[in-house]
Amino acid sequence: MKRTISIAVCAFGLAVLAFAQEDLLGKANQAYQAGDLQGARSLVDQAIKEPHLASAPETWVLRGFIYKDLYREAPSAQAGMLRDEALASLYKGIRTDSARQYAESSTPAYFYLASTIYNDAVRSLNELEPEAAIRFHVKYSETLRRLVPDTVLTDRNVEFGNALGTVYIKLFSEDRLNLAWYDKAVAAYKHVLDLDSANYGANYNLATLYYNRGVYNIQRISADNDIPSIQQIQEVSREFFTLALPYMLKAHHMNPGRAETILGLEGIHYSLQDEEESKRYRHLYEELEHDERPEKDQ
Amino acid sequence: MAAILFGGSGQREPEKDTIAIIQASYIYNIAKLVEWREPAMRQGPFVIGVLGSDNLYQELVNKYATRSIGRQPIEVRKLPEMPEVDRCHILFVPASAKGLLAAILRQENARSTLVVTDFPDALASGAVVNFITAKNTLKYEISLVNANRHRIDVGLTLKQLADKVVE
Repeated sequence: MKRTISIAVCAFGLAVLAFAQEDLLGKANQAYQAGDLQGARSLVDQAIKEPHLASAPETWVLRGFIYKDLYREAPSAQAGMLRDEALASLYKGIRTDSARQYAESSTPAYFYLASTIYNDAVRSLNELEPEAAIRFHVKYSETLRRLVPDTVLTDRNVEFGNALGTVYIKLFSEDRLNLAWYDKAVAAYKHVLDLDSANYGANYNLATLYYNRGVYNIQRISADNDIPSIQQIQEVSREFFTLALPYMLKAHHMNPGRAETILGLEGIHYSLQDEEESKRYRHLYEELEHDERPEKDQ
Repeated sequence: MAAILFGGSGQREPEKDTIAIIQASYIYNIAKLVEWREPAMRQGPFVIGVLGSDNLYQELVNKYATRSIGRQPIEVRKLPEMPEVDRCHILFVPASAKGLLAAILRQENARSTLVVTDFPDALASGAVVNFITAKNTLKYEISLVNANRHRIDVGLTLKQLADKVVE
């Protein structure tokens, strides 16, 4: 049977397909155009069982669009499955569309759905659910690379890694005894620096993380600590201050006018008992006070 | 980053002043590891005086002011930077007040006072305990000569844990 197909794409990738009405696929499209998504789903799911339709790209493109719209209307519990179906169908449609007849609509729809996975990763971060965020981020990367294997995601990975580190810090600050969050924050920033060693935020945040840990150890000194334990605590803290120093220095050299890194270096040197260097950075900071220093600090 | 701990202008915030926190802990431990020969020093409150050093004073008040040395409840006093000081068991004289040290030590009130300092050559100037920096950590040196002059017996532990002992 010969089918006449035309596809128009609106801003959100809505496809309009015109089929011969007696065709199962045409009926699915008709239901889709009428807004009957459940009816369209039932028909298109029947269509993919027909060998002659299962091999046609338009079947999979239409199925991708139907499932995409179902995903957009679905409650969150079912949305993931519907999105997966939509992506799988669009992918199959794009791969079998050797003439690139539907590429103009199917490819943007695929990328739109991929972007919703990234949005879910961001939402999970905002909800302090880092494990879910990682799953979504991995899935987002895999989804993009499935279609375009050489996709470069460095910027996205850096952005995500920094945000992930911040979430781990928040979780650690809520439960200082759970060092797993601390270790994960360190790992997140180190991963960012593996991707981009000149990332200001990761250098600064990693330095601050180490510094704060050293300070926190000292803050916990109480009347129960004897002299050997005071010395032991200091040695442990010294390791953290020493770890913090090169990252804070790097952040400072990248942005010498930033008050936060100057104060950071002042604090690190102070805690390392290096009075001379501490005073030098304090002096640098005071010189900033009348120009670059943030207004709220003045 | 939300959990940043560095302070802005002016004085360092007490909870971020790692040196003050360590110094306070040392002072409390020193108090437990020495004995005052003079009977009058073994009764009433155990007075720790602090010249200057707002953060050290604050840390001593926050963590140790409810404790006792033996049966003597600790009392932490912030003293003006003047040669005339209250009678204290322990008196901290910071580098900013080192010019006052000699005059303080001449005071009758200071004859049984264990003076703690944090500046170079302070033992030679009469301090009993002086904080020093060694390998990026805060340690202390102690003068048994000066302790003896102030009729203070230094316990073995305090001597053994010192970075340097002047006998």
